[in-house]
Amino acid sequence: MMLSFLQDLFQQDFMLRALIAGIIIGVMAPTIGSIVVIRRLSFIADTLGHFSLVGIAVSLYLSTLGISIFFETPLYLGLTFSVIGGLLIELFRRAYKNYKEISMVIVISIGSTLSAIFFSLAKKTGSLYQYLFGSILTITNFHLLLIALTAILVLLMFLIFGKQILSVSFDETTSKFLGINVGLFQIIFMIILSVVVSVLLDVAGVLLISSMMIIPVAAGMRIGWSFRSTWIISVVFSELSIFFGLWASHAFELPSGAAIVAVNVLILLTVAIVKRIVIRRQMVKMDKLK
Amino acid sequence: MLIDIRNLSFAYGHRTVISGLSHTINPGDFLVVKGKNGTGKSTLIKCLLGINSVKNGMIFFNGVDINYYRQWTKFGYISQDLDGFNYEYPLTVEELLKFSSVTKKSEQSYLRLLDNMGILEIINQNINSLSGGQLQRVFIVRAMLDNPEVLILDEPTASIDRQNTEFFYNTINELNKKGITVILITHTDAFEHMNYTHVLNMALDLTTSIETRQVEEGSESS
Repeated sequence: MMLSFLQDLFQQDFMLRALIAGIIIGVMAPTIGSIVVIRRLSFIADTLGHFSLVGIAVSLYLSTLGISIFFETPLYLGLTFSVIGGLLIELFRRAYKNYKEISMVIVISIGSTLSAIFFSLAKKTGSLYQYLFGSILTITNFHLLLIALTAILVLLMFLIFGKQILSVSFDETTSKFLGINVGLFQIIFMIILSVVVSVLLDVAGVLLISSMMIIPVAAGMRIGWSFRSTWIISVVFSELSIFFGLWASHAFELPSGAAIVAVNVLILLTVAIVKRIVIRRQMVKMDKLK
Repeated sequence: MLIDIRNLSFAYGHRTVISGLSHTINPGDFLVVKGKNGTGKSTLIKCLLGINSVKNGMIFFNGVDINYYRQWTKFGYISQDLDGFNYEYPLTVEELLKFSSVTKKSEQSYLRLLDNMGILEIINQNINSLSGGQLQRVFIVRAMLDNPEVLILDEPTASIDRQNTEFFYNTINELNKKGITVILITHTDAFEHMNYTHVLNMALDLTTSIETRQVEEGSESS
């Protein structure tokens, strides 16, 4: 089973594209996901995904009217709306300082409502499944290029503004006194996150984007002892889930996005159980020493 | 003068918490802001730090209206109970200080400051595994990274034990001796061991009073 998967991986173009995209996403998703977790915004990718969907629905609706903007690719309008959604969240977060999670509920509500209306107007409700669950196996060379460019953008963001973004994420209040323009870096991060979400929409779908970003980080946090170690562990878990998810999708004809997330969840459960066993054994040893 | 507070008033909606407060703070002063919960101590600090915008009255720092002030690295700030910080995510002391060292000055100073604070050996430890006292010292190092002119401490000893409180007092006294202006906010009287110069008493009925400490010559121990 694994052998035929490996053969197909290097013989079938779509499989190879999926593998390359998967390797890139395997690094990018938990990298951006760790900042999302630190900022306690785990539902933000879901929210941006829903808002990105509005752009796609509007794009599909406009194409039924014979109006095609951005080269007929719904992704571009999806990306634009994702960024608008990100900026709206930041705006609402500032308005509801003590109830910041409200911002995501407001944006997700607007996103769900508008996307339902425009998908219906475009008479394309049938294509919703693709956008809700995505598929890494159906991505094109052009999409692969977009994923690679987005990964470079994320890399550049961390190389140039890594300290500032991490400092603001860990502690908004006192970052100002370290010489950081807090508002500016919150917006820079939100824009890049919005781009990542819209680019991953075809791969993971609205409903699974958060899982790809957050679950490897959640597993990494259980055993990491520093930011660096947690990031490395998260990336390893993410890559493993993509490889074995692709294999499961190939072997059992499962939807690729769902298979990847299922492996992610399995890793998280395994880590949690193993850690619990190790801690119990250590406690028993300590009791014996007493 | 370093800080000039002129006729400051502040209200949350219809609830006034500061009314007509005026006070000046000179370089090297050690001001204790004392009062019960709800007397506006933290609000005053938030106004000083530009977190609350000043609409009634004025605050000047080095002659600049605080509403337009931008050089915030001149302030070192440790917030109440170190709240607002995300402790649960794994992070070593060195990583925290590296992420916090944004300016060139701060990049070069964290190792020296950790050494001065006697906590260089915990540099690779996860901050989640530190005691309250160790964590407090790490946050003092963080606040001192850019060599600020003013150090503002909001209820800094609330979550540390007696031994660490003593160490903390000595550290703050030493920093003040080196010329750093200190503003300490507290609701208790447990600041007698500190070399404060003034106490600003804030009461629930919005009245304020200033006490100036008479430091006897030769009374300071080295």
